Amino acid sequence: MNNRLMPGCAALAATLALGVAACGSDADNASSTASSGAKTEQPAQLGGTLNGAGATFPQPVYQEWAARFQEKVGTTVNYQGIGSGGGIAQFTAGTVDFGATDSAMKDEEITAAQAKGEPVHIPTVLGAVTISYNLDGVDSGLKLDGATIADIFLGKIKTWNDPKLTAGNEDVKLPSTKITVCHRSDESGTTKNFTQFLAAYSPAWESGPGVDKSVKWPTGTGAKGNDGVAACIKQNPGAVGYVEQAYALANNFTFASVKNKSGNFVAPTLESTSAAGQDLDIPEDLRLSTIDSPGADAYPVAALTFLLVYQDPCKAGMDEQGAKRLKAWLDYALGDGQEVASELQYAKLPDELHTKAQAKVDGLQCNGQAIPGT
Amino acid sequence: MIAPVAARRRRTDQVMRAVLLGGTLVALVPLVFVVYYLFKQGIGAISWDFFTTDPTGRFLGPPGGVKSAIVGTIMIVGLAALIAIPLGIGVALYLVEYGKQNVFSNVVRYFVDVMTGVPSIVFGLFIYIVLVLTGIGGNFAGWKGSIALALLMLPVVTRSAEVVLGLVPNSLREAALALGAPRWKVVFRIVLPTALPGLITGSMLAVARGAGETAPLLFTAFAVNATTWNLGEQMNSLPIQIFNDVRQPQANIVERAWGSALTLVAMILILTLIARLIQRRSRFA
Amino acid sequence: MATGTVASGDRIASRSPLSRLPDRLLRWVLTGLAAAILLLIAFFFIRLATESEPVFSKYGVIDFVFSDEWVPSQELYGALPLLVGTIITSVIALAIGVPVAVASALYITELAPQRLKQPLTILVELLAAVPSVVYGLWGVFVLIPKLRPAEQWFSDTFAFLPFVGGDVAGPNSFIAGLILAIMILPIVSAISREVMATVPVEQKEAALALGATRWEMIRMAVLPYSRAGISGAAMLGLGRAIGETIAATLVIGNAAVIGDSIFSQGYTLAAVIANEFGEAASDPTHRAALIAAGLVLFVLTLIVNALARYFVLRSERATARRVPKGMAG
Repeated sequence: MNNRLMPGCAALAATLALGVAACGSDADNASSTASSGAKTEQPAQLGGTLNGAGATFPQPVYQEWAARFQEKVGTTVNYQGIGSGGGIAQFTAGTVDFGATDSAMKDEEITAAQAKGEPVHIPTVLGAVTISYNLDGVDSGLKLDGATIADIFLGKIKTWNDPKLTAGNEDVKLPSTKITVCHRSDESGTTKNFTQFLAAYSPAWESGPGVDKSVKWPTGTGAKGNDGVAACIKQNPGAVGYVEQAYALANNFTFASVKNKSGNFVAPTLESTSAAGQDLDIPEDLRLSTIDSPGADAYPVAALTFLLVYQDPCKAGMDEQGAKRLKAWLDYALGDGQEVASELQYAKLPDELHTKAQAKVDGLQCNGQAIPGT
Repeated sequence: MIAPVAARRRRTDQVMRAVLLGGTLVALVPLVFVVYYLFKQGIGAISWDFFTTDPTGRFLGPPGGVKSAIVGTIMIVGLAALIAIPLGIGVALYLVEYGKQNVFSNVVRYFVDVMTGVPSIVFGLFIYIVLVLTGIGGNFAGWKGSIALALLMLPVVTRSAEVVLGLVPNSLREAALALGAPRWKVVFRIVLPTALPGLITGSMLAVARGAGETAPLLFTAFAVNATTWNLGEQMNSLPIQIFNDVRQPQANIVERAWGSALTLVAMILILTLIARLIQRRSRFA
Repeated sequence: MATGTVASGDRIASRSPLSRLPDRLLRWVLTGLAAAILLLIAFFFIRLATESEPVFSKYGVIDFVFSDEWVPSQELYGALPLLVGTIITSVIALAIGVPVAVASALYITELAPQRLKQPLTILVELLAAVPSVVYGLWGVFVLIPKLRPAEQWFSDTFAFLPFVGGDVAGPNSFIAGLILAIMILPIVSAISREVMATVPVEQKEAALALGATRWEMIRMAVLPYSRAGISGAAMLGLGRAIGETIAATLVIGNAAVIGDSIFSQGYTLAAVIANEFGEAASDPTHRAALIAAGLVLFVLTLIVNALARYFVLRSERATARRVPKGMAG
């Protein structure tokens, strides 16, 4: 436990004094849980409420964080999973204290948001987009490559015993059940990440539906949120869809091993998701994608997810106390939250990215002044 | 002496009678099934905790109850009723007492009818544009949901109140006026009290209708897990809780949706039944 | 100008100006309220119209309504699939809902034993007390799985019919239409009953006296008399079906394509607003497109309600009685 915390603390120590304070307060809490003494009193004063909305991809972990964050400092975090598109929109419209998305904002979205201030992307965790299916009698993972998955979602492969599916899966007895495709109906970062992967391996996908938060689906049923797609898969025999791994595990879905850039079939696991985050060029604004990562063990449809805040939330209409809460929440996400994430099969940030993310949090301001830590 | 009916005609008669009876039974099938499944699936979710805890929102572990949704529905619908009922009855009073025939009141009457036909989602959209995006008094808030619901309830209140007020016998008004009572006293002492049971019935039916609406609350009151009594904050409500829970894959959350649905339908039915009882006891409507 | 049917207070000479003040106040307040309703509707309409203007000026009304690609993130806003979905589900709702509603209304008014009339009426009315989201819940977990084999059988057997055949999707337009049919049933039935109740008893008795059977009496005396009213009731039902949002979005499959059959997934105008207006807040064109969808809905319901009113008024004129009070819904 301790040595798993170490890289995070080391990274924090490398940044500003605030970072150290945040790391220190974690330690304080850990030691004071038994004595429940005066030390917890100070953070408990924070109280109040933070409202956030956006991606459903990290919703399981954000809800878990919210519950533990409330226990820790008394601040209620309302997080509503309304999709990444909704998260960006409500963040830009200023109706929430923070947004969430799992595909970085586009340039024009950033321009739109700048009406209220400079938007900052804070990466939080990595998760795997699983290709999950509901097929009676098939409970081992199929091996699928990008082109085959694209053909399923294009409606070209219509039954489960199609030669293209049986070809790489001789050991699995596939039934002749018809395939029902479940996809997102809302604007979704999960969709963007998934379609980005499909387009990399299927020219027909690239020139057809294309890559975006919402696309023109050639076939299938639309559902809202990762939860909606998971429900769609569960309710329709023969259904296939793309959902974050936590949803797949919670519902006992069977999911595919997917062929990655190095040509290996990789099942989505904590390790293969983490591997997707290694050795990437990190841009200054942290808007990076981990889709189709080159590593030999990397799961190819692993996605990074972000919280969205304004560089100066006070100028965007928040009061100073609110800014303190927001910073505490972000510190929590990058601190204790990282360990909580792995309980739900989300991978924590790789060290380099974590350091840069924490630096972004520490750089947040309230009316031009640094936001004091708690 | 009546000529005996030809066999063919009698057969047609019997067949058509059976068809009409069949149609009536078919109409009742969905009601039977909805009620059956509400009890079958919903009763298991109902417990003391169901009413006294908030949804946890946590992905793992028990999903929690729906306290915040019940509180939210009562608060939001309560405020909506406080807005819609006086306004709706006021408009109806105008139509009955001052504007029975004139053009202006006919126009008002027509547009009140139009309002009953406006889809509830369009009211939600309107309030979102006018009150949420403009950031008046915060962002999402319970009271904004109340206004959206009030827009929906207002025409229902007005139409039913107009019918009830119109049934107050003119002889009562004339008698009071002849005794020298001023108009306002006639309205407040004679017309309203006489029509009161009918007005209550109409208003309660409007409240029952509003309580079940989801669409106007989607992006006005929004949703939260924690209970709040403050209408200035985001609020949960039963219809929204059900709408969100239906789309979840986990069995225990779907069970909560059935439990919430049973609760909501029970609340609406109780309101409806009380309204009908009051109606029965009154002389009017 | 607007005196009621009774003498207004002003005519009574013996009253002092001061004591007339409350009267005037009441009158002005109530008139103000009535005027406020008109202002509200005007504001409502103008706001929707101005807010949706960007999409109409960018794509034109024709392109917006008749282009068939709705992909918000690619700035494609063609409402045709939504409009088609709205029409298909509404037509299915009417085709199923109206005959059943009229049959139940005829049975209750003309055939049912006296002591069953009241209970049957209440039971049909109770269908209206179930909220839309509860019908949606029931649709998702009961109707969709239970009806799917029957739908597939129908689709295979009657594949020669237009808009039938092929694979049945779980959530689809037919299921949505069926749920809408249940939802419009109580209002269509209620108004039909009231219209039928206005058929003069002499007419019915005359038919029976001439030796007509019950059904012949219904066919010759009741139906011709109430046809306009029933059309009005159907129109009001149509207005409901067009605007119904939550139940439809839960069971229709939310795919903005024009499907091959009534058993394919679809989308409706109302459902797209519910699903997307949360993510349209910051994108002016997307927002305008959704508001335009709302405006199209509003205009459709205006037309349908005006038609309904016309039919019901015609039937009222025919019987020279009051507008059925259930018309308000």
